[in-house]
Amino acid sequence: MALTRRSTRPRFTLLLLVLAAVTIITIAYRGHADSVINSIKGDALDAFAPVQSAVGTVARPIGNFFDGAAHYGSLQSENARLRAENSRLQTQALQSVDAQASFQALLKTLNLPWAQNIPTVPAEVVANSSSNFEASIQLNKGRDAGINTGMPVVSGSGLVGRVVVASGSRSTVLLVTDPTSNVGVRFGPAGNLAVAAGQGTGKPLRVDLIPPQVPVDKGGLMNTSGLQQSIYPPGVPIGTVLTSGVPRGSFQQAVTLAPVADLSRLQFVAVMQWAPRS
Amino acid sequence: MTALLRGRVVLVVAVVLTIQQALLAGLRVRGAHPDLMLLLPIAFGLVGGSERGAAMGFASGLLADLFVGTPFGLSALVYTLVGFGVGMTEGDSLGGGWWVTPLTATVASAAGVLLYAGLGAAVGEGQMLHAHLVTVTIVVAVVNGLLAAPTARLARWAMDLSRSSGAWYTPVRSQSR
Repeated sequence: MALTRRSTRPRFTLLLLVLAAVTIITIAYRGHADSVINSIKGDALDAFAPVQSAVGTVARPIGNFFDGAAHYGSLQSENARLRAENSRLQTQALQSVDAQASFQALLKTLNLPWAQNIPTVPAEVVANSSSNFEASIQLNKGRDAGINTGMPVVSGSGLVGRVVVASGSRSTVLLVTDPTSNVGVRFGPAGNLAVAAGQGTGKPLRVDLIPPQVPVDKGGLMNTSGLQQSIYPPGVPIGTVLTSGVPRGSFQQAVTLAPVADLSRLQFVAVMQWAPRS
Repeated sequence: MTALLRGRVVLVVAVVLTIQQALLAGLRVRGAHPDLMLLLPIAFGLVGGSERGAAMGFASGLLADLFVGTPFGLSALVYTLVGFGVGMTEGDSLGGGWWVTPLTATVASAAGVLLYAGLGAAVGEGQMLHAHLVTVTIVVAVVNGLLAAPTARLARWAMDLSRSSGAWYTPVRSQSR
């Protein structure tokens, strides 16, 4: 009798735990407990923040040292390349001041929103996602700094993603390369519209819904379209066209996009204090 | 389980969580990184049997779920099943060679990742099936295989089970020999 009880107990425990897990998944999936789960996740991020910072402070310089030592040669050539690019960009910036001024005046006259006029909160990237099934990063600032769920995140000039969880002192950003991310884009002189979908960490974006006859220039820039109810403001650069072509018998072009922002080496980003219009 | 042992278990989980979140999350091999939280139920299942494996799976899975964007509770479900499964197989079909622990951890980790992606797809996250699944499976399985022995030792310490003691652990072994 005692033996039977002992051998059935683990199964009973398993059943109980599986039922509990399935219940949690169901409740979370139906969206009834989104706010509760998000606030628990936020609390977990906050609770873990000091530990993470401490470990990061110790581990990062060590990692950087080995990284630097291993890539000394490539760093030197990268430095030279960046110097050249810097001087070229300085010239370009001077030339564009005038164009920028007239553009701003025009926007003001037409009362159009523009990404570059939105206030931003600078933040540092403190961690990558701990999941292999999503592309996300963690920032060192949260609600206390004015960051909220849904805000777009940019780095330099390129779109990085949007805030999906914001706790007091931390926030999680879903990258545009995440397979669940879709961004409305506008490109070309005609202002054609399409959708850029993520394909996973380190992979280029896939641009859907471009008809075969629409010209797509290789290296051409695509910006957020910011159409009505868009989750991103208009005019934020996303990426440049990497490849394009029409597969045999397809009704749309196969276009891939290389993100403007270097998503694998993000260190500082800017969170745009912008909320989608409902 | 005494308070001291409970404290040890919590300590082991906290240390592994810290390593996973603060160190391993930044370490990427071909875009995939190791998953130590999955190794916890495997180690506890190996050392402590199916019930403890399942319980540890539920706990570590829920903790892992707090830090990811995949459906909440999915890791808890998968890790519970993996921990239980490892606890069931150990000792029944394998001898006592040194390779049992790493091999079990490798196979169980690969199964865990595939089950995770499969169940994720079943609850509507179809993209989990083709997000470089092969790479992720290999990286997680290999790293967990390498770290299995020390983690199993930690689990044994946390539950205070030495190889010679342990009411139900050793008899299983002696029967199989």
